[in-house]
Formats: sequence, structure tokens, C-alpha cells
Amino acid sequence: MTAAIIKPATPLSLVTRRFLRHRLAVASAALLAVLAALSLAAPLFETWLALDANTVDLFNRFAPPSTDHPLGTDEAGRDVLLRLLYGGRVSLFVGISAALTAAILGTTIGLLSGYFGGALDAIFMRVTDGVIALPLLPLLIVLAALDLEKLGFSAAAAQSEGASLYRIVVIVALVGWTTVARLVRATALSLRERQFVLAAKAQGASAARIMAVHILPNLASPIIVATTLSVGNVILLESVLSFLGLGIQPPLPSWGNLLTNAQELIWDAPALAVYPGLAIFVTVIAFNFVGDGLQDALDPRSLERGRR
Amino acid sequence: MLRFLGERLVQSAAVLAVMSFVIFALIGLMPGDPVDLMISADPDLTSADIEKLREIYGLDRPVVERYGNWLWAALQGDFGFSRLFARPVFEVLIPALGHTLALLGISLTLALCIGLPLGIWAAVKPYSVRDYAVNLFAFAGISVPSFWLGLLLIIVFAVILGILPAGGLGTPGADGGWADKLIYLVLPAASLTLASVGGHTRYMRASMLETLRQDYIRTARAKGLTERRVVLGHALRNALIPVTTIVALDFGFLFSGALITETIFAYPGMGKLTYDAVMGNDFNLALVALLLATLVTLIGNILADLAYAWLDPRIGFEGKNQ
Amino acid sequence: MRPAGPVSFSILAAVLLLLCAVWPAQAKDRDQLTIGITQYPSTFHPNIDSMLAKSYILGFTRRPFTVHDQDWQLVCMLCTKLPTIENGLAVPETAPNGKKGIAVTYTIRPDAVWGDGKPITTKDVLFTWRMGRQGQTGILPIEFYRSAYKVEAKDDKTFTIHFDKLTFDYNAINSFDLVPAHVDQVNFDADPVAYKNKTAFDTDTTNEALYFGPYVISETERGSYVVLERNPKWWGEPGPFKRIVVKIIPNTAALEANLLSGNIDMIAGELGFTVDQALRFETRHGKSFQVLYKPGLIYEHIDLNMDNPLLKNRDLRHALIYAIDRDAISKQLFGGRQPVAQSAVNPLDWVYADDVKHYTYDPKKALELIVKAGFTKLEKGIRHHKNTGEALRFEFMTTAGSKVRELVQQVLQSQWKAVGVDVRIKNEPARVYFGQTVTQRKFTGLAMYAWLSAPESVPRGTLHSAHIPTEANGWAGQNYPGFDNAEMDALIEKIEVELDKPKRKAMWKRLQEIYVEELPVIPLYFRAEAYIMPKWLGGVKPTGHQYPTSLWVEEWQAK
Repeated sequence: MTAAIIKPATPLSLVTRRFLRHRLAVASAALLAVLAALSLAAPLFETWLALDANTVDLFNRFAPPSTDHPLGTDEAGRDVLLRLLYGGRVSLFVGISAALTAAILGTTIGLLSGYFGGALDAIFMRVTDGVIALPLLPLLIVLAALDLEKLGFSAAAAQSEGASLYRIVVIVALVGWTTVARLVRATALSLRERQFVLAAKAQGASAARIMAVHILPNLASPIIVATTLSVGNVILLESVLSFLGLGIQPPLPSWGNLLTNAQELIWDAPALAVYPGLAIFVTVIAFNFVGDGLQDALDPRSLERGRR
Repeated sequence: MLRFLGERLVQSAAVLAVMSFVIFALIGLMPGDPVDLMISADPDLTSADIEKLREIYGLDRPVVERYGNWLWAALQGDFGFSRLFARPVFEVLIPALGHTLALLGISLTLALCIGLPLGIWAAVKPYSVRDYAVNLFAFAGISVPSFWLGLLLIIVFAVILGILPAGGLGTPGADGGWADKLIYLVLPAASLTLASVGGHTRYMRASMLETLRQDYIRTARAKGLTERRVVLGHALRNALIPVTTIVALDFGFLFSGALITETIFAYPGMGKLTYDAVMGNDFNLALVALLLATLVTLIGNILADLAYAWLDPRIGFEGKNQ
Repeated sequence: MRPAGPVSFSILAAVLLLLCAVWPAQAKDRDQLTIGITQYPSTFHPNIDSMLAKSYILGFTRRPFTVHDQDWQLVCMLCTKLPTIENGLAVPETAPNGKKGIAVTYTIRPDAVWGDGKPITTKDVLFTWRMGRQGQTGILPIEFYRSAYKVEAKDDKTFTIHFDKLTFDYNAINSFDLVPAHVDQVNFDADPVAYKNKTAFDTDTTNEALYFGPYVISETERGSYVVLERNPKWWGEPGPFKRIVVKIIPNTAALEANLLSGNIDMIAGELGFTVDQALRFETRHGKSFQVLYKPGLIYEHIDLNMDNPLLKNRDLRHALIYAIDRDAISKQLFGGRQPVAQSAVNPLDWVYADDVKHYTYDPKKALELIVKAGFTKLEKGIRHHKNTGEALRFEFMTTAGSKVRELVQQVLQSQWKAVGVDVRIKNEPARVYFGQTVTQRKFTGLAMYAWLSAPESVPRGTLHSAHIPTEANGWAGQNYPGFDNAEMDALIEKIEVELDKPKRKAMWKRLQEIYVEELPVIPLYFRAEAYIMPKWLGGVKPTGHQYPTSLWVEEWQAK
């Protein structure tokens, strides 16, 4: 068998070029960019529509779409479009930040564990088992009652309406790193037995260098697949937590709690459920396609396959 | 092989022991004990009553002591009584466990039967129309919030079409046998299957794609083997490695994570029971239910590791503990 | 490669089709009534743990001695005659502790028998009482057994209870729920402490000897359903259906789908839809279902923590209530079905006083009061104190995940914001909220929840200063606002022992005046129950109080 030659990280321009070939991924990335931009611009829309996302109007509940309210109003007479945009901010923020934190944590642990093996691996993996097995529910309840100030958050942050948001990011990151860790470890475990790694070792490369140069690039694709999937998963998880009353607290909207709120209204105002549901659906799909595209772009051998 | 298994079992037992304390402490940390809930329901309780009640429920002692007592009794096979249901813990757990295993067994089997072949099928011809179609299907499954999917299924099949029951375990009062029970399982199982099939498909596809790029596959192709033999005979074995991890992890998660599906379909399985036990301050029940979930996850992990070693000859059993 | 996916699909489809063929068409006979509720009762023992789902189901199968009926009058169910001082069956006396007590004599209906045909006798009374007095069993209600210091059996059917205090509701023993001595005495005497786990109610739930109502429990599937069959030994009118099935469907959206699909016939008002859900349901399906609303004793309110320096200021408390439009909330969100509460006393209660102060929506007045309290500076729409610069800000808590409360909460928040009060929502799961935050007074500002009570229940636990939960008293009591008012304390004590109705009513009026003037609690509205029933079902009369409709199941009828 010919020894595989592992190339150093592919130049960025090449990655970009390859990524651009993946049409669905590009479309998805564009869509996500638009969604993110719209969400970030929510306050502008607020000014433009001369409305406030949280102001309740009891006499204008379930209003149909109009020029004042492009998507109508919800069960408290609030503008649905604005709530959706603000919800997007929250959901995207939670999804991305929690997934990234979890991925970084997981990669580090998985890499060390898989590469060094032995006692370190045993300990790390048993910790991982423990964390995977850690029951989320009581943990969430305990954390729901925890004083954020005691955790080092400033008093302003702990009392702010975003407190539930930080809580969720922290919780998800703390329990979510295990998937990546296990995946990374499994791949690292098999990579370190490969000839190119053995060769590098024989040449006297340091462990850190081997991990950074030879193993990490090969891990990129599983990590990226897992992380992109997990952005979606976190957004979904947030909706589940909302369902249980453990999610983002009102009046701060998130797609998850908008959707949960709408479940009782499913017969009367299906649109209220369709919008956030669609937003979640589209976003999760888009993240997946982007992950897909990135995987191909980052992988040095994807081009030939793309043409085959 | 046996040595490896033995070691893993010992390690897992240790994890389980540690987890039993962690869970115990965690539940202990949760604000509000059963007596607190009684206080909030009865304005006439005096502090003497409260002390007495705490004593009755054994809540007046520190967590460590309570854990010690619990562990001692548990080791002798006495897991105590469920506070909520006033029955021995396992008497409450076992029916729920049965329901969950039936539901999970069916949906996991279906999800694998659909997901793995679909994933392979897509990976063989990447970037083709069928690949995109499969991806879209997989992503759609992943991206639908579970309670939404559940409600949708009920509305379509129970309300509009009226061909399947909206929820429950079986027809009460009429012993319809397994067929009756099975019919009630269709919608929740379909809901869980749809939710997990996407993940399986995606991981299978990604893993197969990766494997098909390996040199030995090229060699195999160069030897003139049919594509079918290359894929199923050579690549599949390696491609399954990462997939086993995901499946094993999924099982542990689904075990208590089917809560939403169980709630929507009024299907009393482990998820709902665990949730009710935690929320209702049912210490013994919650503890054992959560430990059981832990146990299932740990077993899943061991199975996944065994599957690795079996599927990938490069990883020896001993290799892991050098 | 052969596509395996589609093959699995077709197999799945075939299996589904097959199953559908096997599925027996549900017979739509009137022999059976299927009721949907959202919660499964944990224990079936009537005296352990109080729970709505349990009292609903046990209502079909058991009867209390006395109960408040649909017109809120105290009536006898298991006894023959309601004892009163006037008819000589209740005799005031001096209790051993030197206080005024009373001896009340009841007679069990002569035809009353357990489900196995054994007569209900004073043996059962004595056994149940002994069990409650023992105090190691967690038998409720503790207060009843503490006060009932002696029970004497005159004969098999007649007994006298001696209470060590004389209260106006001396003859109401609604929660004295009989346990059959011939079934459960063995289990109790073997080990009183372990009894709560050994009782036949939970080990042998389908034993008909445990019940004495129109129905007995014939089958249970934990978390899923309870099947009730007619009790052949029942002495009254037979139940209208051969069988009643109570199905548990925890999610209300699914509950509705179950109703529409015919999986259940009706949704119980006690544990089903909220009024806003019912209103929406009625607009869509009013033609095929009947919807009954009954406002009741579920008092939805906001406790104000009186330890909060801002909330100590009565003007600010008044400002808070003037700033909110409770009428609009009642009308717009609940179709006017949930009347605005003026105080904790329900207008349907005979002690309700109509001529106490009513707060109406008056944001101008609210603003005046806020300014009067020194909050003149306006920064970013929020009032700040002119000297200290302190913001007019409160934390507002309720149970997370409770849709109606969260909606109302956001409406209130928005209305308070309009007068410059910054209210921050911080909700917690019920378990944390009731397990700690409210019960140990850890909320710093506002806490919204509800009380469910019986008619004319004296607010001792909720308003008497001796019932403010503190660490020292083990967090006993339910005076969560921390309301401490000497006149209120005195009134509560006097009302409890005042037997003269007009005098009592006058005291109740004063109590309501103090409540409204001091405003330790912002009254919101009385929650209504919504019963969703098929058109063919008649005779269901909602009670509006804590005793469920199932206690009158023999009056139901299929039309």
C-alpha cells in the first residue's frame, strides 16, 4: 500500500473555491447570512414599523397581516414579525455559541484522550460516560434555581432578561461536548496507528506537533459535521426546554418558545406556529448543508470525487 | 477480549457508583423536598408537624447519611418505595420500562433499517439528485421539533383520517391483545423514527463517503471488483465504526429523552415517569430511574467499543489500555 | 446497488395497512363515557397526599360525610342529618385544654355499604380516626385530626366527634374520608409508619371493598387510564353509564386532538382546558360540543413581598394596581368568563362584601402615586427616585411553562412599563417555585399563583402574622407576602369562633376592607373551570369549588 501523504491545511482560497461549488451549501450560507442580518437588524425594523416587540395590545390579538403588522399579531397583540426577528437573535446566538463552546471542549478532550490513550484515555472516557449519562432534567432544575451571581456573573447580568439565555448556553455546552469528544477520540484512535503518524513519530516530531499538524486536519470533517449538526440540535433542544418550561423566559422571544406558545393555538392561529417552526426547520437544514459544503471544501480529496 | 470486557465492566460499575452519588446529590440539591410541597398545600401545618413529616420521609438527615442508608438498603436489594405512587420502586418502573423498550425497540429498528441503507445509497453516488433528495429527507427529519411532529401526526392520522388512535397504551377495559397495543404504538413509534432516522442517514452517509476515499477501496476498485462488492464487502465494515457510536449514544439519550413524544401521545414510558418523579420530588423513584438510564448508556458505550474492535482490526482490545 | 430504503418503506407501509385493518372500529355506544384529564393520581388513598386527579376519580367511587354542594351549601352525603347547634346534634362544651369545644353527632346512612356488601359502621369511623391521630402516617388533614381529640361510637351507625375548638364550620367534616377497617386495619396495625406504602388502596386498587360510590375502580394502568364499573352494592341512584373510563393525556393540545378524534368524549373541567383554550375551542366546535364555564374559588393573584423596601410603601402598592387594566384582561383574554377579583373573597361566597373599594384602571392616578413616592425622574422610560436615583424596578415571578400565567404576566409587564415601572420577569419551574421560592419567601417582589379553597375559608394561613414562614418556624404557614396587621390577626381569630352569621358577615366585610386598603396582594381574577362535553351529556353541574363534579355523577345522564 502506498503511504498516504497528508497535506498541510489547505489554503483558504482553495477552500473557498471548493465551497462555492457546493451550490446548496452556498445557498444555505446565504440564507443563514440573511437570517442573521435580519435578526441583527431587528431594532431597525422596530423603529421602521414604529412598534415595540414587547408592547402588548389586548385589543389587537390575532390580527391578520396588514401594513402595520406585516405578519399579523400574536396572542398578546404583539407584532409577529418583530418577535420572530428577535427570536432569531436569541436562537441563533444560543445555537452557535453553545455548539462552538461544546465543540472546542469536546475536541480538546477527545484529541488528548485518543492520541495519548492509556490512563488518560480511560479517565477522560469515563468522565465522558458520566457526563453523557448525567441526567439533564434534574441538572436543569438545579440550575434554574441557582443564583447566577454566585457563579460569577455580574448582578446586572444575573437580573437581566437574558439570564435564562446564558444559563442555557452554559448548560448545553457543559453537557453537549461529549458527542464531539467521542467522535474525535474514535478517529484519533485510528489515525494514530496510521503510517503517516507513525512516520512523523519516527522522525521525532513532538506530540503537540503531530496532533496539530497531522491529526487535527484529518479530524476537521467529523468535527464540522458534528458541530453543524449540533447548532441545529441546540436550537431544537432549546425548543424542547421551552416545552418543559425550562427554556428562554418571556418576554424574550426565541423560536423555541414562540413555537411552544403556539402549540395550543395550532387550531386557531396555525400561522403563529408555522413561522417559528419554519424558521427552525430552515435554519437547521441550512446549517446542515453548510456543514456538508465545508466538509467537502476542507477535505483535500473531495474535488476528484465531486467530478466522478 | 474477555479481559477487555472485564475491565470495561469494572470501570462502568465504578462510573455507575459515582453517578449514583452524583444523582443523589443532584436531587438533594434541587430546591424543595416533598414536605415543602405539602407545606404549600396546607396552611394549618405547624413547625412541629413539619418536623414530624420530615422524619416520616427521612428528610431530616444530611445528604451523605441518607445516601449511605439508601446505598446500604439498595445493595441488599431494597430500593425503597416511590413516594408518589406508594409502591416499591421497581413495581412502578417495570411497566414503564416495558413500554419504553417496546417503543424504542420498534423505532430504533425502523430508524436503522431505513437510515443506514439510505445513507449508503446516497454515499455511493454523492452529489447526485438522489443524494440531495436523501439529504433533504434526512435534514427534514432532524429539523422538525418533536412535539410539533407528534401533534401533526395526531391531527392527520387520528383527527382527520381517523384511522389511528390519538394516544394511550391500549383500549381500556377491552383486552385487545398485542394487536391493540401495537396499533397504539404506531404513531409514537413513527414520530420517534422520523426524528432519529435523519441522524442515522447523515452519519452513515458521511462515514461511507469518507471510507470510500480510502486507498484500500481504490485498490479494491482497481482489482476490478464490482461497485456493489466494494461498498458492501469492503467499505461497509469500516464505515459502520463511527455510526455505532452514534447509535449507542442515541439509545441512552432516547431512553429518557422520549419524554416529549411520550407526553404528546400520552404514552407512559420512562421519560414521563422520570420527569414526573423528578418534578414530584419522588426521591427513590427518580434516583433509580435516572440510574437505569445511566446504566443503559454505559452498556451502550461498551457495546459500541466492542463493535469498534470487531469492525476495525487496527484497534486491538489491548491497544486501548496500553 | 439495490435501493434498500424504499423497500423498508414499503414494508412499513404494508405493516401500517395491516394494523389499520386489524384495528376494531370503536363502538359508539352510550354504555361508556370516556373522560380526558391531564394528570394521573399518584396514590389512591383518600387521606394521603391531596391531589386534584385523585379527588376527581375517587369522587365516582366514594362519598364524604359532608360536602358543599353545587350551590355551595353544606350537605350530608354519607350521614343522615347535618348536625347543628340548633337541631341539638352539636353541643358546645369545654374541651380538656380549657377552651371552648364542641361535640358533634353524626349518623351513617343505614343503607351505606362498602363495595363488597359489608355495612359501613362506626368501626370504620374509629379506625380512620385512630389512623389520623397516630400522626406517623402522613394522614391528612393534620389540623382536623389534631382538633378532633375524641370520637365516641354510640352504636354501629352513630358517633360523636369532640373538637377542642369551636369554629363556625364545626359540622363540616368534608375531608374525613373513611377507610374500610375490615380491609386496611391489618395493614395499618402491622406497621403504622410503613402503612402509607402498604395500604390496600395502592396494593389492591381494584378491590371493590375500598369503595362505596356509584362506581368502583375495576382496572388501572399507571399513567394511562382508570376504568370504573358500576357498583352493584351502591345504595343510591345507579350511575348513568355501565362504565366510565378516565384517560390521562398530559398535553392539552393533544387532549383536544383526542377529543376531536373521538378517543375521549369529554374533557373534565377540573383538570383540562384553561378558559382561553375553551373559548377558542367553543368558537370552532361549539356546534358539536357543549362548553360550560364556572368561575370558582381558584383565586389568581400576585403576592407582594412586604419586606421589599419599595413595596412597604402603600402608595406604590396602590400605584401598581391602578396601573393595570384587569377588566381588559378578563374581557379580552378570557371572554369575561373569569371575573376580576376585588379581594380574596369570591362574589359567590355569602360573606362577600360588595361595598368595599373597587380598584379600576387609572394610570393617571398610578402615576400621581408614583410621583408622590418620590419617583419623579424618568430615564429611558423608567421612573427613578429623585434623591437616591433608585429605579422603580421589581422582579415578577410565576410558574414557568404555564401559558396563561405567562401571557397575563407579559400583559401586566407591558402595562406597568407604560407608567414607568420596570418589571423583570423571572419564572421558575413549579417545583422550584413552590418548593422554595414562594414557600420560603425568596421572591423579592411580585409572585403570581393561585389559591384553591372551600367556601368561607378563613384566611388564617395566608394573612395571619403568625403564619409568616420563617426559618425559625420551619417555613410553616402561607402568609407569603409577610403581611403583619394586628387588626387582621384579631379579626381572623374572632371570625373563626363566631357562630352568629350576621356578626360574622360584618367581620368578613371589615376583613375585606383591610385587605383591599393594605393590599398585600394584588387580586387578579377568579379562575373559571371549563367543561367540554358532548351534546348528549346532561346533568353535569360544575361546583366552582374544590369538590369535584364526579361526586354527583348519578345526576349525569345521556340524552
